[in-house]
Amino acid sequence: MTLTDDIAHDTAVELAVARLVDEFRPRVRPQVVGTVVRSCRRDLSGVPATALPELVERLARTRLETVA
Amino acid sequence: MGSVDVSGVRHTLPDGRVLLDDVSFRVGDGARAALVGENGAGKTTLLRIVAGDLVPEAGTVSRSGGLGVMRQFIGSVRDDTTVQRFLVDLAAPAVRAAWDAVEAAELALMETDDEPAQLAYADALAQWGDVGGYDTEVTWDTVTVAALGVPYDRCKYRELSTLSGGEQKRLALEALLRGPEQVLLLDEPDNYLDVPGKRWLEQRLRETRKTVLFVSHDRELLATVADRVVTVEGGTAWVHGGGFAGYAEARSARHERMAELRRRWEEEHQRLVDLVRTLQQQAANSPDMASRYRAMQTRLAKFEADGPPPEKPPEQEVSMRLRGGRTGVRAVVAEQLELSGLMRPFDLEVWYGDRVGVLGANGAGKSHFLRLLAGQDVAHSGAWRLGARVVPGFFAQTHAHPEWLDRTPVDLLWHGEPGRPGVDRGRAMAVLRRYGLTAVADQPFRTLSGGQQARLQVVMLELSGATLLLLDEPTDNLDVLSAEALEEALAAFDGTVLAVTHDRWFARSFDRFLVFGADGRVYESVEPVFDEARVARAR
Repeated sequence: MTLTDDIAHDTAVELAVARLVDEFRPRVRPQVVGTVVRSCRRDLSGVPATALPELVERLARTRLETVA
Repeated sequence: MGSVDVSGVRHTLPDGRVLLDDVSFRVGDGARAALVGENGAGKTTLLRIVAGDLVPEAGTVSRSGGLGVMRQFIGSVRDDTTVQRFLVDLAAPAVRAAWDAVEAAELALMETDDEPAQLAYADALAQWGDVGGYDTEVTWDTVTVAALGVPYDRCKYRELSTLSGGEQKRLALEALLRGPEQVLLLDEPDNYLDVPGKRWLEQRLRETRKTVLFVSHDRELLATVADRVVTVEGGTAWVHGGGFAGYAEARSARHERMAELRRRWEEEHQRLVDLVRTLQQQAANSPDMASRYRAMQTRLAKFEADGPPPEKPPEQEVSMRLRGGRTGVRAVVAEQLELSGLMRPFDLEVWYGDRVGVLGANGAGKSHFLRLLAGQDVAHSGAWRLGARVVPGFFAQTHAHPEWLDRTPVDLLWHGEPGRPGVDRGRAMAVLRRYGLTAVADQPFRTLSGGQQARLQVVMLELSGATLLLLDEPTDNLDVLSAEALEEALAAFDGTVLAVTHDRWFARSFDRFLVFGADGRVYESVEPVFDEARVARAR
């Protein structure tokens, strides 16, 4: 299994994508949200699992706000 | 596996005096070494050198197995340090650094919530995980449950100053004994512990497989735990390879041997000097003798250059003169006295001349009771009074005199305070000399060792003319000799003594005991009672 598959099935990613898609509709397309969240997840790969969901969502929100 | 190797260490005080010279000893894997010596001999300085806080002027200290340090002040923390910060400070340097980085990143994130701040915070968290921070937090949970009876999450923001001295010590000891460090340096780990706490400490130190170097003045603890004794005296250190039981004998044998070597050296020196003089006269008449004279001169010069063997360390002289005075027959009377929330009402009559040991568990209100009798503001109900001509003199447990910190002993004695007239410098120096405090007479109070501060408090009691001594753990910081001097002084004191103590040996010199029970009951006993359970309080 590759890292990309890991990230695709990561609950931290799925939850963040679901919430941020709602939050940024219609300014940002869902595909863009998914890409940004997955890239944030990759940037945060060393972070302990317990802190991951919050940090992924927070970083993705910051990045999406700059593009929206 | 851990060990400490100290080799040829030398340390000079800021005023130029050599405190320690040529100190060498090794504490091997799993050894439990006691570090003993008179107050001010340099035990704490030596521990600080071993801990790496001080760099020795000469010599080396090598350590293996990671170092955990419990400092002497633990037990008297009165600032706003939290339980969490306290545990972080006791952890390994890598854990400490990772924690500080997480805190700094958190603060930065609160101020600016941008991408670099978030990534820095994520980085700090990753580092925290890498150094084993999450496992450490699990250990801290075990530690707080063991020491305080509550989980870490419930007490981490609690201020350390709300814990008793014994609870602070126990928290530190649990953290160090359960931590990964294999070498523990413990500076007076038994201070502030009650007797069940001391027994617990003795058992834990006997069980641990870690290497332990500890300072203690409690003879019972020394006898039970130490398997070797490092003595700091005469500006250097020597090691007794056995337990404390044979220590006194070994020490006096060593002193005799040192005196004997010194005597022999002086005899040999005198013989060589005489020989040189004789040969000098003979050389004047005979050229043959001239070469022998020169050879003998060279021999004497070499002998003197090698120097004499060290002198036997001087015996410490402490002479305390607590005079007191005749008071009313009833020195202290309490009727249905209750310190709010601490105990059930009790009656008490203490007669002139009584020696009352105040015993009981930590947190039962013993110190508050003494403070009340000393005239301090302590919430209570019921009645109490002191008899005719009874003047209380109070010795505080934690040396909690912030107003003294920057003042010198001479200054404190010169100014006096209510109930204690000031004395001129000459008289102050004379009394300080009897307590072995001349050398520190002009040093700020904060720079005095725990034992020196304790002795200074006894000086003040002596000068105050107190007829009722209220002593809160007076032997805690005193070395064995000073404690014996205090005991003799108390025996000669004309007046009444109430002393809170957890010192099993000191307690045996009292003739009545007032026991503060864990259930709030206060009762009298003719025998010392040391196994009152800890007081259970809602936390």
